Amino acid sequence: MKVHYKINGKDYEFDIYPGKVLLDVLRENGFTEIKGNCYMGTCGACTVLINGTPKTSCTILAAQVNGAEITTVKGLGDILNPHPLQKAFVEKGAVQCGYCTPGTILAAYALLKENPNPTDEEIKKAIDGNLCRCTGYVQQVEAIKYAITLLKEGK
Amino acid sequence: MLKLKNIEECFYPKTIEEAVEILKNSREPLRVVGGGLHLSVYPNPQIKGFIFLNNLGLNYIKEEEGNIKIGATVTINDAAKSDLIKGLFNGNLSSALSSIASELLRNQITFGGSVAQREPYSDIATILLALDADVVYFDGSEHTEKIDEFYKTDFRAKLKEAIIKEVRFKKFDSSYKFGMERHVRNATDIALLNMAMLAQIEENRIKDIIVSYGSRPMPAIRFKALEDFLKGKDLSEAVKEVYNFAKENADVKGDIRRDEQYRRELTGVFAKRLLESFGR
Amino acid sequence: MERQVIGKNVEKIDALALATGQPVYTDDIKLPNTLHIKFLYSPHANAIIEDIDTTVAEKLPGVHMVLTYKNTPQVYHTTAGQGWPEPSPYDTCMFNQHVRFVGDRVAAVAGDSEEIALEALKLIKVKYNVLPAVFDPEEAMKEGAPILHEENPKGVYDAKRNLVAHIEVKAGDVEKGFEEGDVVVEHTFETQFAQHCPIETHATISYLDENGRIVIRSSTQVPFHVRRIVAQVLGIPVSQIRVIKPRIGGGFGTKQEIILEEVCAFVTMKTGRPARAVYSREEEFISARTRHPMKITVKIGAKRDGKFTAIKMYALSNTGAYGTHGLTVASNVGSKTLPLYNKAPDVEFIADVVYTNLPVPGAYRGYGATQGYACLEQAVDMVAEKLGLDPIAIRKINHIRKGETSPIFEALGEGREGVVQYIESEAIDKLLELGAREINFYEKRGKKVRNGSKVRGIGMALVMQGSGIAKIDAGASTIKLNEDGSVNVLYGGTDLGTGLDTVVAQIVGEVLGIDPKKVIVYPSDTDVTPFDKGAYASSGTYISGSAVYNTALKLREEILEVAKDMFGEQDSKDYILKDGFVISPRSGKSVSLSEIAYDTFYVKKQKQIMAVGSFVSESSPPPFAAHFVEIEVDEETGVITPIKYVAAVDCGIVINPELTKGQIIGAIVNGIGYALTEEYKFGENGKVLNPNFMEYRIPSSRDIPDIVPILVETYEPTGPLGAKSVSEININGPVPAIGNALYDALGIRLQSSPYTPDKVLKALKEKRK
Repeated sequence: MKVHYKINGKDYEFDIYPGKVLLDVLRENGFTEIKGNCYMGTCGACTVLINGTPKTSCTILAAQVNGAEITTVKGLGDILNPHPLQKAFVEKGAVQCGYCTPGTILAAYALLKENPNPTDEEIKKAIDGNLCRCTGYVQQVEAIKYAITLLKEGK
Repeated sequence: MLKLKNIEECFYPKTIEEAVEILKNSREPLRVVGGGLHLSVYPNPQIKGFIFLNNLGLNYIKEEEGNIKIGATVTINDAAKSDLIKGLFNGNLSSALSSIASELLRNQITFGGSVAQREPYSDIATILLALDADVVYFDGSEHTEKIDEFYKTDFRAKLKEAIIKEVRFKKFDSSYKFGMERHVRNATDIALLNMAMLAQIEENRIKDIIVSYGSRPMPAIRFKALEDFLKGKDLSEAVKEVYNFAKENADVKGDIRRDEQYRRELTGVFAKRLLESFGR
Repeated sequence: MERQVIGKNVEKIDALALATGQPVYTDDIKLPNTLHIKFLYSPHANAIIEDIDTTVAEKLPGVHMVLTYKNTPQVYHTTAGQGWPEPSPYDTCMFNQHVRFVGDRVAAVAGDSEEIALEALKLIKVKYNVLPAVFDPEEAMKEGAPILHEENPKGVYDAKRNLVAHIEVKAGDVEKGFEEGDVVVEHTFETQFAQHCPIETHATISYLDENGRIVIRSSTQVPFHVRRIVAQVLGIPVSQIRVIKPRIGGGFGTKQEIILEEVCAFVTMKTGRPARAVYSREEEFISARTRHPMKITVKIGAKRDGKFTAIKMYALSNTGAYGTHGLTVASNVGSKTLPLYNKAPDVEFIADVVYTNLPVPGAYRGYGATQGYACLEQAVDMVAEKLGLDPIAIRKINHIRKGETSPIFEALGEGREGVVQYIESEAIDKLLELGAREINFYEKRGKKVRNGSKVRGIGMALVMQGSGIAKIDAGASTIKLNEDGSVNVLYGGTDLGTGLDTVVAQIVGEVLGIDPKKVIVYPSDTDVTPFDKGAYASSGTYISGSAVYNTALKLREEILEVAKDMFGEQDSKDYILKDGFVISPRSGKSVSLSEIAYDTFYVKKQKQIMAVGSFVSESSPPPFAAHFVEIEVDEETGVITPIKYVAAVDCGIVINPELTKGQIIGAIVNGIGYALTEEYKFGENGKVLNPNFMEYRIPSSRDIPDIVPILVETYEPTGPLGAKSVSEININGPVPAIGNALYDALGIRLQSSPYTPDKVLKALKEKRK
């Protein structure tokens, strides 16, 4: 069946087998910035924003979100023009192997859209679905707080 | 990874009547999809198609006729973050919801889906039982059943030809207190035992009380014996006695996650702590 | 010497690419015509494949190869990514006829898609001769126990007793030492199976290049070992294989292993097509590698004044179905712990490493030291208590100091004899002092502060590790100069997300006086980069970094020679390299590296300014760390919550503080998971029951305490610019520190990790009887 998505602001049409999950449809169509393969919604590396809400694409049926607006980390910024969150993660040592990073940044992005001044606890809660085995989370929280100041300064 | 290999058709009904028609008339096994999480974790290879509920407008949270009504496709986060829910029970319901699973899953797990699947570790089931909630479902006509009663029937058979529309519970006045306890291995875990209480406290006396507990590891049920034991008791007295009664009368078993002795112990501890919290 | 670049928080050079989702991991490329490989696993813990019929599977459209022991090379090797000759037994072929754990490889299908391959697996008919299995190492050593490796593999100590290794190291006479002691304490502790849980699972892609050579692109920590072992297994020359390590999504030791590469390469070799194998999360838990579960007994004798008279340690290590890393991990249990308390004149270390029919342990951050400290650091606390000394005091009396040595260094190597070494950098007393102060150790200890049913406790642990493996681990690099004064560094080192590439850029930047942004690092490609043993044994900065440092020094010499000629001066001894310039202080003359490059490329005496350097260490200087944790235990539920965790760490000179802190904090959080929640659950038949994140619980952002890393610099003369290692050591602290804190809070000591709430309640109940 045909599905339509607006991914990072651009329209796409894919012809898919309806039983597929969004993660597979997107990765097979070149969106390799989406990671992960637990297929249970437990690691968070496959996080995308669906109409602005962060969800695990490995548990979302591609057919269910037909017509949705999907944001991947590339929708926030790219290597030439990174988003303040991406810059902050880089500057604050929050990126080690980087595999969880796109998903965590999206979860943080969604948090800041809803709550521009979160407490440390609220930040930790927003990224609690994004497992990281490298950093131990401390520098990720620091990065998100730093991103808040960057965003305030209009960077 | 392809977990569902036989999907042939997807339906996007615009009304609940249409959805139920499709469900009833289909010759093939179809699956009603709220959030879709359950389908991913426990895929059923027999399913031939999906009925997506996104367009039915069941994502409302409203107060109507003295009831709080939560549509079937409302997610845990939708509810936890809504002002209406935050305003109940001093925020205790909202904070209980916020602690379930992880942010990403709270954005996907729906009330309708949780009620329909009745996973043994479901916190939603435990919460709704404690709130004496009604399940409203549609099978051509609308039915309203207390969730406690609903679960005592063959509800899975019912749901083969029906779709849950909403859950609703009374908007309780300030004499009512609500609390929930969950035992988890770490923060985003499923509950390995959960308990919720709704109590009407007047002049330090338990005028009325509902207790539910789940992940026992069996699914959540009302703890009627404990309710009878506590009704009418002075709260301070109850706090002293409830641990032993709850522990001795708990209907719990052991599983690979926790043994029976531990669940029994926690049943007592949770009951005591919830009552203590009502006294503060 | 004024530091230009060292000690600065230079941004990790690949961080922006990773944060913006660039396609840099193994599975981010898609090659046309790829064959997808899926595996069939044994449902039995111990069985011989009597018959395996793949004819129906082979006929399924889209299936191109079905592999079993019948049609793959029966070359016994080890999957351990270690230096040759590997100190692990050659006890497995690519596919074995004898399968030895639930999850052992039976067959593989290469198909046009994953789905086709998975379908084909169902069509493979296997007839097993099921044998009795053994799961307990003590049982496995007894007579009459099922013998796992009847083929008596090369490198196994005693196959008839399922003993991969037996280690015995003695210095002095411990029994005499115990008699001389005023107190003797014995403590036994059991550690559990655990998995590294890298968020990216094992992934490998192989293909033929335009000349028909096999290229392997793999999420590996050991590209050069992969090349050598794949060549060995396939029976082809090393020159026919190229291994490239792209970005890796975490390793922690599970990728110090040759697991998917030989299968992919074999399929590519036979079909000419690209081959792809990616482990699912379930496969990562069951069929990758785990941590060796161990039962450790420590006995310590001490005098009234606190001085240890003797330490005896026995480690029983369960090495699962195959002996990869079995000997060496067990060696480290003693070699990375006992030297810490070198004041004990009599020391003994004995270890047995035993086969069982369980998933295979391998290398995991800490590598035996973690298990050793789990027991040792609690035993030390027990001795202190008996003597009426505080935990810090007793450690101050007994710990190793700068200038000292331990007989264990020489006696216990990794498969070979160890190496005599003296400690040349150490600041343990400072670590203890700063850590204790940060957490208010003395004020809080013993107070058992209550908040309802919750009690607070404080515990500590002193730990060390190593920096590379002395006289064995080697790395090398080449550096060449470009027209704009930038350099290309080609080195074999393997950054697995740790930031080694950045550390290397900083080292080169420091030596050559240039901005690290002008250091272009190209790592781990066996065709292009010089040899490096790979990322393990905490050797990145120390070994790979030293190789790069040596190379940079040589390049510096070359540059100075050219500058000297350009200046027309006699010697370059006092020249300074700074900000991309060479400066002669006596004449004030200066020339930029860029000018030098243009001159030497194009103008006169043309050549490429370039250097090659290697490094093998003579010693393995230990980093040290003092860990302190404050916990809150709920007496009614048994739940332990860490509140604050302090780690004072001496890793020599700190090259990049932010990266260093990242290593410290990451290891601590992993260690907390290991201490509190992570464990495998097995069915009676040896099947793993919880191979997913829902049931195997690793910490999330909501599970961390307040973590305070304190960096205490020392200068390690044998290290690059004074640095030691930091990546493993801190995972050793949480189990003993939390165990000691639990004792401080409730007076109970658990005998095994993880410290789950039901264990705590049981112990409390026992105590109250």
